Amino acid sequence: MGKRIMIDPITRIEGHLRIEVEIENNRVKDAWCSGQMFRGIEMMLKGRDPRDAHHFVQRSCGVCTYVHALSSVRAVEDACNIAIPDNARIIRNLIHAAQFQHDHIVHFYHLHALDWVDIVDALKADPVKTAKLSANVSGRPESSEYFKTIQDKLKTFVSSGQLGPFNNGYWGHSAYALPAEANLMAAAHYIEALKLQAKAARMHAVFGGKNPHPQFLVVGGVTSVRDLNIDRIKEFEDIWKETKAFVDEVYIPDLMAIASFYKNWGAIGGNNEAFLVYGDFAENSSESRLLMPPGFIRKGLGVEKLDVELITEDVTRAWYENSTPSHPYAGKTEPIKGEVAYNTDDKYSWIKAPRYDGLAPEVGPLARILVAYGKGDATAKNLVDQTLKKLGVGSDALFSTLGRTAARGLETVIIGDAMGNWLNELRSNIAKGDKKTYQSWTMPDKAKGFGLNDVPRGALGHWIEIEDGKIKNYQYVVPSTWNFGPADAHGNKGPVERSLIGTPIADPKKPLEVLRTVHSYDPCLACAVHVIDPHTNEIYKVRVV
Amino acid sequence: MTSEILILGVGNILFSDDGLGIRVVEKLLENYQFPDQVSVVDGGVLGINLLGVISHAHHLIVVDTILNKGKPGDLHRLAGADIPNRILAKNSLHQVDLLEALTLCQFLDHVPQTVIVGAEPMDIETLSAELTSTLAAQVENVVLMVLKELEVLGVPWKEKKISNGCHHT
Repeated sequence: MGKRIMIDPITRIEGHLRIEVEIENNRVKDAWCSGQMFRGIEMMLKGRDPRDAHHFVQRSCGVCTYVHALSSVRAVEDACNIAIPDNARIIRNLIHAAQFQHDHIVHFYHLHALDWVDIVDALKADPVKTAKLSANVSGRPESSEYFKTIQDKLKTFVSSGQLGPFNNGYWGHSAYALPAEANLMAAAHYIEALKLQAKAARMHAVFGGKNPHPQFLVVGGVTSVRDLNIDRIKEFEDIWKETKAFVDEVYIPDLMAIASFYKNWGAIGGNNEAFLVYGDFAENSSESRLLMPPGFIRKGLGVEKLDVELITEDVTRAWYENSTPSHPYAGKTEPIKGEVAYNTDDKYSWIKAPRYDGLAPEVGPLARILVAYGKGDATAKNLVDQTLKKLGVGSDALFSTLGRTAARGLETVIIGDAMGNWLNELRSNIAKGDKKTYQSWTMPDKAKGFGLNDVPRGALGHWIEIEDGKIKNYQYVVPSTWNFGPADAHGNKGPVERSLIGTPIADPKKPLEVLRTVHSYDPCLACAVHVIDPHTNEIYKVRVV
Repeated sequence: MTSEILILGVGNILFSDDGLGIRVVEKLLENYQFPDQVSVVDGGVLGINLLGVISHAHHLIVVDTILNKGKPGDLHRLAGADIPNRILAKNSLHQVDLLEALTLCQFLDHVPQTVIVGAEPMDIETLSAELTSTLAAQVENVVLMVLKELEVLGVPWKEKKISNGCHHT
């Protein structure tokens, strides 16, 4: 047996993720992905008013509050047969798209970039050369003085021993490939992105009433009645334009520049054949046309029609009482009685194993780009082909950690561009005198429904059953359940587990390569408990066992 | 137009006492009036996503549950050096929570003066939208702690209505 290493927790953004890998001959031979926290919010929803569900579910996650609320109201709208007004559709699109713009930028720069960028090495860079590099590759070139200032700021952090967010990184690791000048340029953009993301978050507040925790969503539409005017639209548009400029001029050029040094990662971190997309961003009132097309890929780039009846959840290897795999409508959340034991040969996670037609599809930006590409969507096809050409890699490189990270950037562009059209639509509706944002409805005694959307991390679905006007059953399957789920009864492993197998590891004590792939999925396990503890800060652990 | 003082409640209302910060903020919004330079924000568990609001504040009053080697319900106030320093704690690789969001403010050349007030929790693991009775009994006291912080900063506030057990002149 190879050497096993465990990384726990992978992220403190949300929840507790543990990754264990077995290494043999400097490669990952096997991998286990474990959610270390029980999520049982569904149990809390039983007996409540369906109209209140979204207030609860949006608290289940600290990053994607809005998207859970959206799935939840959609589930109730489906159950109660409600068609929302056109303006509500557009405003929901805009806010959801704003979430994508914010989330993906933060992910690239603040959660993923340091897997590729050696921030300490940036101190060695020549600011004059960095300025030249930025003139060549960046859409927003800066002077050598600017880069010198950034470098001095970094120096202050490093020399004070206070690396802050950069602490405990694997600086100097042999797997870092960027020249010092590129590292400095990326470090500068890390800081620019911090400033930008603070602004981008404000898009939510325009129609959302407040941010965080926007409160404009209701079953039947949105409540942004007073925001339906030219001034508010302009306010949103101004931030959107600034965000879009950052994506076009900084994010995408950085992505391409960094990727060009890591082309070998176009053959690492893939291993998934199946991909699932629910689709999102309705382009018309009937919601028959979606900006992100839905679909399922069994292998290659052939796209099948989405059939939500084929979704089941398996709990054989998760800490729930054993039962046959069931569709979310019939889903149960029954944690095993007594203590749970982490055992990679048996049960090892709080995450269930969702399956589509028995397969374990990957969800998220890569799945969405592949489905759009496979369906021949002109915008996606054009962008993907250009990117592959620029990098000088074949379409095989899409199925990898590099492809996953690039796909996230490309869809930021696609969604960002579409936002301009929705703003125009909203303007023209107002000009026509259409200011309707809510469709009234009545609660049925008995009903069933589901709400799907595709959110920054992937396919998200909520299923609800209503009886006597109250919630009888509620289940949701979140993107991280799809990606970070464990093996199933047949031994089929989850997408992240599969992706890790075969990854080269230069130093088992510093498993940077594992983090690259895990972070490329944008890990986010719901329901973080948040406390301040001045004495026992959790230690980021890498254990060699 | 930017507010200089931010009262930020953080925590997850679905995990019993972890919701303390949010419950305190709800009470503040319900019962008190503040001048324009004060904003009161329900931050949930948003971590770095709070950077936008934090980076505008000169003074930050965080309300949260605090594990400080006390008994459940004990009130705590952390300021200055008492605030756990992620920078030294070797805690994170790329992960960012509220404290790291504060650290990141250094890059924006704007670190708000921060104080954290709250109470020792009894139960932050049970899935419940209610505080334990021990912590529920302290909500009003934590509210008073926040108001006191405002007084120290010389910021006036008003009660919206007179209610029992709560007074101010």
